[in-house]
Amino acid sequence: MAKWCAGLLLLLCLLAPAGLVSFSEYQDRDSKPVPEDIPALRMVADPFPALNGIAVDPENHLVVASDPNRKSLLLYDKFPPAGSSTATAPARQIVGPNTNLGMVAGVLVDPQHHEMLTANNDIEDTVVVMPYDANGNANPARVLSVPHQAWGLALGRKHDELAVSVEIFNAVVFYRREAHGVEAPVRVIRGPKTGMADPHGIAWDELHDEIAVASHGNFRGLYRNNGAGCVPVEPDDKESDTVEIGKFRPPSISVFSTDAKGDTAPLRVIQGPKTQLDWPMGIAVDVARNEIAVANNGDSSILIFDRKAAGNASPVRVIRGTHTGIDHPMGISVDSVSGDIWVSNFGNHSALAFAHRASGDAIPKHVILSAPKGTPTPGFGNPMAVAYDCKRGEILVPN
Amino acid sequence: MANGTVAPTRVITGQNSKLGRTIHGLAYDAKHDEIVVPNALADAILVFRGGANGSEAPIRVIQGPHTELVTPHSVSLDVEHGEILVASLTGKRINVFAWDANGDAKPLRVIRGPKTTLGHLVGLAVDPVRNLLAVANSEDVLIFNRTDNGDVPPRGRIGGPHTGITDEPWQMQFFDGRIFLAASNHLHVNLYSGVQLKKDSTHVPDDPWLNPTLGFIGVWNVTDDGDIPPRAMIRGPFSGILHPVGLALNPADGEIYVSDSVRNGMLTFFVPDFFRKENSDSRKQ
Repeated sequence: MAKWCAGLLLLLCLLAPAGLVSFSEYQDRDSKPVPEDIPALRMVADPFPALNGIAVDPENHLVVASDPNRKSLLLYDKFPPAGSSTATAPARQIVGPNTNLGMVAGVLVDPQHHEMLTANNDIEDTVVVMPYDANGNANPARVLSVPHQAWGLALGRKHDELAVSVEIFNAVVFYRREAHGVEAPVRVIRGPKTGMADPHGIAWDELHDEIAVASHGNFRGLYRNNGAGCVPVEPDDKESDTVEIGKFRPPSISVFSTDAKGDTAPLRVIQGPKTQLDWPMGIAVDVARNEIAVANNGDSSILIFDRKAAGNASPVRVIRGTHTGIDHPMGISVDSVSGDIWVSNFGNHSALAFAHRASGDAIPKHVILSAPKGTPTPGFGNPMAVAYDCKRGEILVPN
Repeated sequence: MANGTVAPTRVITGQNSKLGRTIHGLAYDAKHDEIVVPNALADAILVFRGGANGSEAPIRVIQGPHTELVTPHSVSLDVEHGEILVASLTGKRINVFAWDANGDAKPLRVIRGPKTTLGHLVGLAVDPVRNLLAVANSEDVLIFNRTDNGDVPPRGRIGGPHTGITDEPWQMQFFDGRIFLAASNHLHVNLYSGVQLKKDSTHVPDDPWLNPTLGFIGVWNVTDDGDIPPRAMIRGPFSGILHPVGLALNPADGEIYVSDSVRNGMLTFFVPDFFRKENSDSRKQ
């Protein structure tokens, strides 16, 4: 294990007299920085896009990826074969202060309306809608306020609704597709019967009228002691003697009826050790082949289940291995025409497309690179704390 | 000396680790060589061995109804007295556990109640020498006695326009009678209560990362109380700091480590003067 050492230090720093300077005063000063404007000695950061969510539109030959590192959306229309080592030039990149893009996570495309939607997962608390032809520092077509920690997005065209998974509240909230600004959800799936625990990926199967949701298993449920033990209660229960009972549940894929609302039990749940689920992130339903594909972040694999799998079911195929290039996948999307499975990797600046029957240590058909091949990444996703391990000379950074 | 576009030397990750993909606090226990991490989405405190790597399980987990943990967000370690202190994001409380607590353990103390004025807590730090506890509240820093328990008022408060703190002061650490703070000043306006819109929600707030009131690293004395400017700062365009949230100290090498949300990176500052005793009050100079 490499140790980090303090470097030789050649910089002299003076403590400034205490006193606050406004932003406008900075602009009025001469070219010398004020004493507290001390340059960093070192900075660990990634200048390249880190790919999170992914969505494919075969009609328009487009792959769209969300990038929380540079806070952008990237649109690709060239899909190089595996083996390329240079970064793939995006057709367009949407980035800048006008875009409202921040710590973007799930992304989806709406070919019918030529729009892309992405969820801001951190304190932005919004879903941003961009037209297909947006480029650069573009204004969104719409911005919708959503609950804190929105992650996954799915579109129901028959209902004309947008479904949003919300991690911390173990919920799926639904809005009108064209909702914008501040609008209340039209319905919510939430409650103890749903079994959701830290939900992430979501997929809307309109052919079979089902909605699938991937949960990591981190559960903070509300309980009340009714005198005969603790019973689960609705999250909005106002009883003063509610307590939170945190639990670690196994990860799962829960499948709900498309019209589900309130505290509704799922139709099926894929859960158990045979499933190999390990931090399941994005999920996609391949309606033509009756399969569910899962971006399995924890062990860098793609799991494919039978669409009607339930219980402690094994995947029908697993794509995993050094030749696959899969490295901490986040998003997943199925090309409805070719059946190709696209996956976005947070761990190595890439998006990969596999043939729909790929299995094992398969080589991808296409590789999109957001950085030159082999470029390392710190893997930051809004690091909000730091600790120093003085024993090893290491800096610990959580994400 | 990590610098630039580099990969970490090791990563603790995966389902077996019981980590959530939302971690806003951690602390390193040098005495026991352990890493302490809150999992807010599972109401748990995880303790890993210091050399943990990969999908490695924690060696202890504090979780259960008796813990009274509610969205644990930030942790600080009192190695001298053998305690883990936990700040709650939504539960308006500070829970204190024995350092080796495990399972459904009762806290040793809980600071909670209306007199505390505790609100949205995102950071805390303990000073075992002076027996003080600093808590990053919604818009200020509250100072308690280390052994306070129950519904008690803070003994001091650092807040107000002269402090430069506007919103969500974040990670903090004590050193030799000084409080070091990552004052993020990112502006988080939450329109929802859970998944329900609040009644007064009408407009989409401005992008919090574009708040022109930038954040900074600030240093105060533990005796400071009121609307007092920091005694030392790091901020400005050359510093690269925009809205800092994470902060860790390495006094032996004169370094401060800062994570910045907008940069999505981790910066190292060499500021040995910040740690020298004679410079603890630069305003006297």
